[in-house]
Amino acid sequence: MRKGFILLTVAVLWGGQGTWAQVETTDSLSVDNADFTFTESQLDEDADVAQTVSNVQTADPYLSAVGYGFSAMRFKVRAFDNVYSQTYINGLMMQDVERGSFNYSSVGGLNEATRNKEGIGFGQMAGYGLSDVGGAQSINMRPSQIYAGNKLTLSACNRNYVGRVMYTHGTGFNRNGWAFAGSLSYRGAPMGWGNVPGTFYNSLGYYLAVQKRFNLQHDLSLVTYGSPTERAQQGASTEEAYALANSHYYNPNWGYQGGKKRNARVVESFDPTAILTWDWKSLDGTKDLTTSAGFHYAKYSSTALGWSGDAYDPRPDYYKNLPSSVFNVYDPEENSMAYLEENPFLVEQWKDLRDRWTACEENRQIDWDRMYFVNRQNGSESLYYQERRHNDQMGTALSTTFNHRFNAHGKYAAGLQLSMNKGLHYKTMADLLGGQYFTDIDKFAANAHGLQSEEAQNDLRNPNRRVGVDDKFGYNYNLFVNKARAWVQAEYNLADWYLALGGSIDGTTMEREGLMENGCYKGYSYGKSGAAKFLGGNAKLIVAWTPNANHRLSLAANVASRAPEARNAFVAPRVQNNFVNNLTNQGLTSAELAYKFTFGKFSGQLSGYFAYFKNGIEQTAYYNDQQSCFTYLTMTGVDKRHYGLEAYFNYQVTNNLSFHLYGTIAEAKYVSNPFAQVNPEGSDAKQIRELNTFKNPVTGQNGQLQVIAEDMRVGGTPLAAACLGVKYNINYWFFELNLNYYDRVYVAFSPYQRLNSTYITAGKWDKLTADGQSKFTKAEAEAEGALIYNTQGQLVASYAKEQEKFKGGFMLDASIGKSLRLKHGRTLSINLNLTNITNNRNLKTGGYEQNRDDSYYKESDGQYTKGEDRAYKFSRNSKYYYAFPFNFFLNVGLKF
Amino acid sequence: MKKIIPTLACALMALGLTGCLDRTDSPDVSDYIITSPTGVGQTNSTIYQLKQDYAEYMAAESGGTDFVKVDTSLVIEGVVVANDAGGNLYQTLVIRDLGGGEAGGEKDQCIQIGVKNTWIAPYFPLGQRIKINLQGLYVGNYSQVPKIGTPYYTSAGNRKLGPMLLQSCRTNVELLGKPDPKAPELTPINLTTAEGISWLEKGSNQSHMTTPRLITVKGYIAEVLGSQLRIPLTGSNSGDPEPYREAVIDPATGKQKVDPATGQPVYNYYKLFAPEELYDDGYGVNRTLLAESEGQSGRAVQIALRTGTQNEISFMRIPLVESTYTGVLTKYGSDWQMQLRSKDDVRPVGNGNSK
Repeated sequence: MRKGFILLTVAVLWGGQGTWAQVETTDSLSVDNADFTFTESQLDEDADVAQTVSNVQTADPYLSAVGYGFSAMRFKVRAFDNVYSQTYINGLMMQDVERGSFNYSSVGGLNEATRNKEGIGFGQMAGYGLSDVGGAQSINMRPSQIYAGNKLTLSACNRNYVGRVMYTHGTGFNRNGWAFAGSLSYRGAPMGWGNVPGTFYNSLGYYLAVQKRFNLQHDLSLVTYGSPTERAQQGASTEEAYALANSHYYNPNWGYQGGKKRNARVVESFDPTAILTWDWKSLDGTKDLTTSAGFHYAKYSSTALGWSGDAYDPRPDYYKNLPSSVFNVYDPEENSMAYLEENPFLVEQWKDLRDRWTACEENRQIDWDRMYFVNRQNGSESLYYQERRHNDQMGTALSTTFNHRFNAHGKYAAGLQLSMNKGLHYKTMADLLGGQYFTDIDKFAANAHGLQSEEAQNDLRNPNRRVGVDDKFGYNYNLFVNKARAWVQAEYNLADWYLALGGSIDGTTMEREGLMENGCYKGYSYGKSGAAKFLGGNAKLIVAWTPNANHRLSLAANVASRAPEARNAFVAPRVQNNFVNNLTNQGLTSAELAYKFTFGKFSGQLSGYFAYFKNGIEQTAYYNDQQSCFTYLTMTGVDKRHYGLEAYFNYQVTNNLSFHLYGTIAEAKYVSNPFAQVNPEGSDAKQIRELNTFKNPVTGQNGQLQVIAEDMRVGGTPLAAACLGVKYNINYWFFELNLNYYDRVYVAFSPYQRLNSTYITAGKWDKLTADGQSKFTKAEAEAEGALIYNTQGQLVASYAKEQEKFKGGFMLDASIGKSLRLKHGRTLSINLNLTNITNNRNLKTGGYEQNRDDSYYKESDGQYTKGEDRAYKFSRNSKYYYAFPFNFFLNVGLKF
Repeated sequence: MKKIIPTLACALMALGLTGCLDRTDSPDVSDYIITSPTGVGQTNSTIYQLKQDYAEYMAAESGGTDFVKVDTSLVIEGVVVANDAGGNLYQTLVIRDLGGGEAGGEKDQCIQIGVKNTWIAPYFPLGQRIKINLQGLYVGNYSQVPKIGTPYYTSAGNRKLGPMLLQSCRTNVELLGKPDPKAPELTPINLTTAEGISWLEKGSNQSHMTTPRLITVKGYIAEVLGSQLRIPLTGSNSGDPEPYREAVIDPATGKQKVDPATGQPVYNYYKLFAPEELYDDGYGVNRTLLAESEGQSGRAVQIALRTGTQNEISFMRIPLVESTYTGVLTKYGSDWQMQLRSKDDVRPVGNGNSK
């Protein structure tokens, strides 16, 4: 077992969840163990971020409230992906340039060091950068901003971890102009102590900073921080598995090894970062210049089980282990007394499997001992192993921002941001599970082309290499992404009016460098791909009318052109250099109208927004039944439309008592049928060409592969949410009670199940009769999906297969707090948060459809036709995550 | 208070030197089994007797009478002589019981056991003697091969006797001792002799009492004989021709050699046991094995040598010379069929006589 981090293990040093709720969530869409059972979610699993805004204070009361208030349901503001919001630390934009999002785990456990932060929504401007459609936040970690003194925080909870200790010390500026600050924290949960079975949590956080104030104009600060973390993951599973385990928190990722619990999917992350910042301001305070340079090396890896082709799938919830794999339980004819009496053996097997699942916990978890046994029986070479997939990011960034208030009414800001990033992607052997070595070949290609074939080699330059623990194998490549951005904005206040204008221009280059030569992609696997270059920009306008202090009406609009994310830019990044077809900028148009008001004790804000994303690129990866291999599916030309209403109302009954109501009703859906490109690893050029050819079933002409995605919703976030709450405080006691309602959460849809070629193969198409009739009713077409052609073979209607909407539900949360002033200026604060008090265990936070078929297909001359049906129905067995049951968080803080 | 701060910080750091939580020791799996830890009862029958007692089901052609559930405690035993180690036998074991008689005699019997799990070889290595209590399991045949398992519906909707659940091994199967690589049951029945060929020629020998059986035959594969080697077959399902030749590269030039006499490019010709292009509805490929006996060239018995398309044998090149083939003999319709267990089951004879 590879040695991990330097971590604390004492039981008294409990970890806990603080302000950065999104850091602590389990992987929002975690995935199967298997190398070949990647899903569309797996490419996003590194994110560990469920929200696009964190819990920061903004001038927008709605954003301030929902960041934490709806976090239990992994709420995404406006259903935006987190790449559309920006995070700055000490003036430096900290987005991961490859993925486009901020790595929250880099500041895990550093609540005190990151306490000074501000955020803006879409309809606001900030002096640190021109914000994107998802808004921005700025964290000030300069040591002079840290509380001068000591703060010790002890926390206990029953979430992903069970305890936390944090100690922070700040000096403030001394007489020589020096300020120092440091923070150390530990969060942890031993195996099995967290809210999800079979998980553990082990995280250290550190922050060290020094600042020198040279004079009234110049400051220099150096900040370094990191949070080495090791944590075991939860895996999604099907409703059937949850029912058999009698828990919506069943976790298929763990099992017993030698009588001890072990999780197969363990994340290790550590993102040490250093930022050097020079602050200058004019003596009259009208100008300031902030220049920052930063370096970070983000190490991220996640383990997963792997196995050779013939070894049995070790996942406990593998579909063949489930009772519903015995016969089609969804078919009323088969699932009937008459049929089952005629076929009693079906019931016997169904019961046997059910009984095995329900007999004991051990039976429904990973059998590690079995894998060790099989490996030892096999001799020296492992059939089962645990691999570690690395996604490291080494980046440098430079940013400079100039702000100038040129008179009492106006100011402008301008800045330059540069970043260079090298993403290192490879996998290593984490554990041979009792074996001595593993041969570095692609098992799928070996099945298709033979073990001795060139195609079977993962690295032709090192054929049949024997892989030991910690050795690299499988794939190894770098992604280089460089970005430069210049921006400028101006704001002007005149009487009741406010006007702001901003614009930016940016350039992006991205390039892949293969460090292995995959046998299937000889000639375009090893070496550099050549750089793709993109020119983008952004223009933003805000107009506001404030007739008096109690009313403000504002309109914000934005148009942008964004470079695609590098992670989606290659057709099969693990093995080849080819870029995705139609790789182009994404267009973005958005607008927001907001009205903020105060009527006596009643205040609030109403907003309506609209955002249109055009020509986006999304990539998913999964195990393809037909080709029996790991496959990438890339959608280009993805158009999405988000719009909705947001509201926040507050009624201040007395100085001590107030009621609030806030919420949103939103829509976020696909409005195009994107082009698709599939690339199975281990397939040759001819197969790939065939798979990417769509044949019109009426005319027989070739067309383009498309995903019938129109009207699909963005999954994994409530599109309707509301909170009714009350706050009360007296004598430094604070009480808050919130009743939340969530609805319209959708499963993440499977592009594969909605490919036009999949429809044709499955017979989900029809040619209208001469009088315009179809064999499908509209309801049938909408439920299962269909393509309808006219007699000339022109597509006249396309229906996406219906997307599952989860049931809505309520969640009751409460908090109570007390602040005490002690002797010698010390203060003690105690807070207790209770979440999901009614213990609602039936709220799904997300899930995904499986990219697998209900039928076997037959291939002939490159054409696929539907074969026999499977007993198991993947289309009826999506995998889900549920919101945590009742949980608490107790926090005791002492300032001294 | 000033002392508390550095003390606490040092304590945190000192206590942090203990390493990760994700650490586990290798387990002792020397006694790991998926079979019964307590035994399945006394042996009270033999494979021979079982085939006699359930002949009605084991010999049935089809029609729903090709299997039956065993309701009594019926315990047989045998030695594993074929498993899925080579990937060619799918979810299948073959056990053999000499029945106290001589090898190849009437009491020497084999039977298939279906287990629903890929890669069952580690639990049931060759030479492992096992005991199986049939109570609750089904006996009958699959494609006229006597078998123990449980019924299922094929993907084509046909009701067949298929593999038992792996978990049934826990209740119904017991390992007896350790695997013995020298167990006499592992010696195949030699059909390379004239008597062997005569036995194969006799149609009445095709019955549930003679199959399955572990045999060795000797001969050639018809698809590579003479001009057939240069004629690729085309798959009826794939529509693609099988691979059959490769360019001969001149190491001096790095280019394909050209025959100076004809000016034609030079190829090496070959065929594989089970190329993907020739897959049939069962995802296998049949080659025609012409089994001959010593000194009796021209008197050959045809055996369909059946191989799956995705295992270590599939991509093997068919020997162009006379070879011995060892595997599990079954019948399919009125034909003999044979499945190799692994690549080692193919061995060229002597110096390799080509035909």
